Parts: sequence; C-alpha cells; structure tokens
Amino acid sequence: MPIFESTEKMYEVLGGLFTGLMNDEEVLEKALKANITILFNISEPSGQIWLDPKSQGVICGKADLKPDVTMDLSGDTCHNFWLKNISLPVAIAKRKVKTKGPLPKVLKLLPLLKPAHEAYPEIAKANNLPL
Amino acid sequence: MTYNELELELTEEQIALKRETHKFAKEVMRPASIELDQLADPEDVIKSPAYWNVMKKGYELGYHSIFIPDTWGGMGLDPLDVHIVLEELGWGAGGMAIGLCVGCFPAFFSSMVPTDKLIDDVILPFCECDDASFIGCWGITEPEHGTDTLSPGTEMFSNPDICCDVKARLDGDEWVISGQKSAWVSNGTVATHCLCFLTIEPSMGMAGGGICVIPTNLPGVRKGKPLDKMGQRDLNQGELYFDNVRIPKDYMMVDQEAYDGILDLTLATANASMGAIFTGVARSAFDLALDYSKKRIQGGKPIFQHQMIKHKLFSMFMKVEAARALSRAAFVYNLNNSPPLTEYSIASKVFCTQTALEVANDAVQIFGGVGLSKEYPIEKIFRDARASLIEDGANDTLMITAAHQF
Repeated sequence: MPIFESTEKMYEVLGGLFTGLMNDEEVLEKALKANITILFNISEPSGQIWLDPKSQGVICGKADLKPDVTMDLSGDTCHNFWLKNISLPVAIAKRKVKTKGPLPKVLKLLPLLKPAHEAYPEIAKANNLPL
Repeated sequence: MTYNELELELTEEQIALKRETHKFAKEVMRPASIELDQLADPEDVIKSPAYWNVMKKGYELGYHSIFIPDTWGGMGLDPLDVHIVLEELGWGAGGMAIGLCVGCFPAFFSSMVPTDKLIDDVILPFCECDDASFIGCWGITEPEHGTDTLSPGTEMFSNPDICCDVKARLDGDEWVISGQKSAWVSNGTVATHCLCFLTIEPSMGMAGGGICVIPTNLPGVRKGKPLDKMGQRDLNQGELYFDNVRIPKDYMMVDQEAYDGILDLTLATANASMGAIFTGVARSAFDLALDYSKKRIQGGKPIFQHQMIKHKLFSMFMKVEAARALSRAAFVYNLNNSPPLTEYSIASKVFCTQTALEVANDAVQIFGGVGLSKEYPIEKIFRDARASLIEDGANDTLMITAAHQF
C-alpha cells in the first residue's frame, strides 16, 4: 500500500510543501539564482510535480516545460527522501531514484532542498503520514 | 595541430574554455611535467617549485573544482565542458591531470551528502582554496587488494574472506580507523584529506564497505615515501597508514547499506575521466609525431612525404578521433544519468588508455632513435600511457567487471 493513497493526496502534501517553500523569499531568491527547472516524475501513485522558479513556481500535473533535471522515483521514496530517511546518493545507488540532468545541477539541488527537509516532518504529521 | 571540432553545437564559452585550458596545458603543465620526469628521486618532485607552480595555477584557474556545483564556489561545469577540460589537461601531462582531478574527491563526495559539518570543513575550504593547500586523494587500493576493491556486482565482492585491510568501527560519535592503503594512492603523500574506501562490516566482504573523509593531519595518520615508478612520475603516489585514527561520525558519508552502488558510481565517474584524459595523452603523441615528421629529413625529403609514415599517422589520427567519440559519449551520458551505465565508462577507460599506448608507441617509431632518448618528450608520454593500463583498475579485470552488466 503506497504511503500516498492517491495522486490528489500526494499533490496536496508535496505540492503544499513546495508552494510553502516558494513563498519564502529567501528560498525563492536562491532558487531563482540556481535557475533550475526540476521535474519529479513520480510512480505509485503516478504524478508529476514541477518546480519552475522562473515562471509558475510549483505545478502539479503535466506541463509544457523543459526540465533541467528530472528525478524518477516512487511516492514512498519521495516521502522517505523528504523525511531524510534516505539520502540522494543512497537512493541512486539502490536504484530507487533515477536522475537525468548534468550532475553539478543535480548536486546543486541538495542545498536548495534543505528547507523542504526541515518543513516536511510537520507536514507529514499533520497529514497522518508515517514518520 | 588542434583537432577539428565535430560537435556542431559547441558554444562560444566552450570554445573559449578549450582554448584557455589548452594554453595552461601547453605553457604550464607540459614544461613542468618534462622537468619533473627527469628528477631521479620522487621525493624531489614534490619539493620542486615546478610541481607546486602547476598545482597552484591549476587551483587559481579553478580546474580543481570542475566537478563541484557553483553553489559552493566550484566551477560546476556541464559534463561536455568537463570532458573538454580533461582532454586538454591530459594533452598537457597525463599524470598531473590525474593529480588535479583526484584532488577534488573528498569535496566532490561531500557535495553529494552536504551536511553542515562537511560543508564547513571540506566543501567550502576546498572550493575557496587557490594555492593548492587543500588537496584530496583517493584511498582505495591496498597492498593485498587491487582488483578486489573494484569489482562491485561480482561474486567475489561479497566473499567474506575478502575485505579491506583498512577497517572502521563506530565508537560513540566517532569512527575509529586502522589499516594501510598501498603506494598507488594518487596524491597520497601530498594530500591534506583522503577520501577513504574501507570495510565496516567484514562479514559482507568488500560489499560491507564505507566511504569517509580523513584529514591527513589527524593523530594516527602516517604517510609513506613517494612511489618511484616507470611512468607518470609527475603524479605523486604513496602509502597511507591509519592507526586508530578518529574522525567525526559525519565524515562517514556512505556505509555498507549502499557501498557497492556508490562504488559503481565512483567507478563510472573515475573511468570516464580516465578516458577523457588519455584521449588527450594519445592526441599529444600524435601531435608530436606529426610535427616531427614534417621536420625530419630522410631520403632527401621530410619523412611525412613517405607513404608509410603518412599511413601510420592517419592510423594514429583515426584512433584518437575514435577515442574522443567514445569517451565523450560515455562521459556526457554517465554524468547526465544516475545510476550510470558503468560498462560504457569502463569501455572508454580501456579503449582510450589502450589507444594512448598504441599511438605513443607508433609515435616513438616515427621519431626513430631520438624517440628513445630524453631529448624529446615522446618516450615520457609512452611511459605515461603504459601506466594507465594498470591504474584506476587494470584493464583486463575492468573488462570482466563490465561484462557482468550484460
């Protein structure tokens, strides 16, 4: 049984996480400076989440954009990644995440995502997701 | 002869990057590497101002940080840019190119797991360094374990009878490390920080490994003498000994949970880099032979005008171009996709190092008698190329490891 019961629930939780981040001026400034469009291509449940600081910010669902970095992963891996139960290199090594995009850009994401790691446990708790 | 660029969409920035790196390789690296090669004692190499001049200028220009994201102050180059840089550095001097490349290993790995401590202690100081006072090394090979350490995915990798001599055990908030790394550790005796591959769980064999950063100024770390070897004499290599060395818990970046997968990633990056560097070495041998063939007169005309020499030079040219095509494709693919297709990085390493040896061998033949003398650098390039078939994994065994992917 996937941690996110439906695509809608996943969009609500993760979409909310990213929208909160993009509303933080400091995070937005760093994201704009990094100038990277990210696509999280998620399975179980199936969905797509885009982070595009240059234009629309956060998009849940299909979008006509070209990602700089694509990350293919399951909803469960997503959840565990934001909880810091699994690091990106370990997830890659265990074939739980596939990334596409120049390695320096993938690595550049990690410090940007730090606030999301900090915010996620509370969000997961509020949504009755396992910690 | 600079090569014709077959990549149609190279940007102005990439063309400038190639030009500037070539200038550094030609004016700084090549003359220094020839001077260092002629020193009898490898201890004198690392005492020589020529060695430190190359390292410092390399750091000033940012070549030490080409793999590290610009978030931390690294150059953060795209994969194709990195390939272009590595080929040019290899053209200048294969050994010194490896030294500059390996120097980033502790910071590069730290940037994959950027904890606050690793950012403050390793990543930022390395990226900010412009005087080569922060140098990394890759501590993986051991006196009793060469190929053993580089065979992830094979049956022997999980054999509990085969594990590293260097082991780590957790003691409270610290890891305690003991054991010996062999004389083939690149940058071994000049490094300030070692990216150490070791065993945490011996019952899992080599697969029970871990990867950590060890500052080499910690109590219990001892360095051996620089290795005296046939080729790449400008590349410092030497033993590292660890006697109950204590590092903070955060410095262990990877444990046995993901060791074999991360080792595979490491091999994919390192072997792809070797392919790029030795494409440059092969090209340097071709360039020297072509140049010499137009000056050397035999039979009343430059030897270039003899059919056999033209035939040989064209064969060398084809090999260099094939090496660039394969190494670029493997490098760009594997540094754009994780997990990588490691067999392509290995194919690149094996093919390009073999190519470098064959092209350098043909170049020596074209030079004739003087090719064997110290008067020209071609015999040095031949020796440098020969070493590459063994370093970073012996080609024969790498091929067997790669074939396991089929």
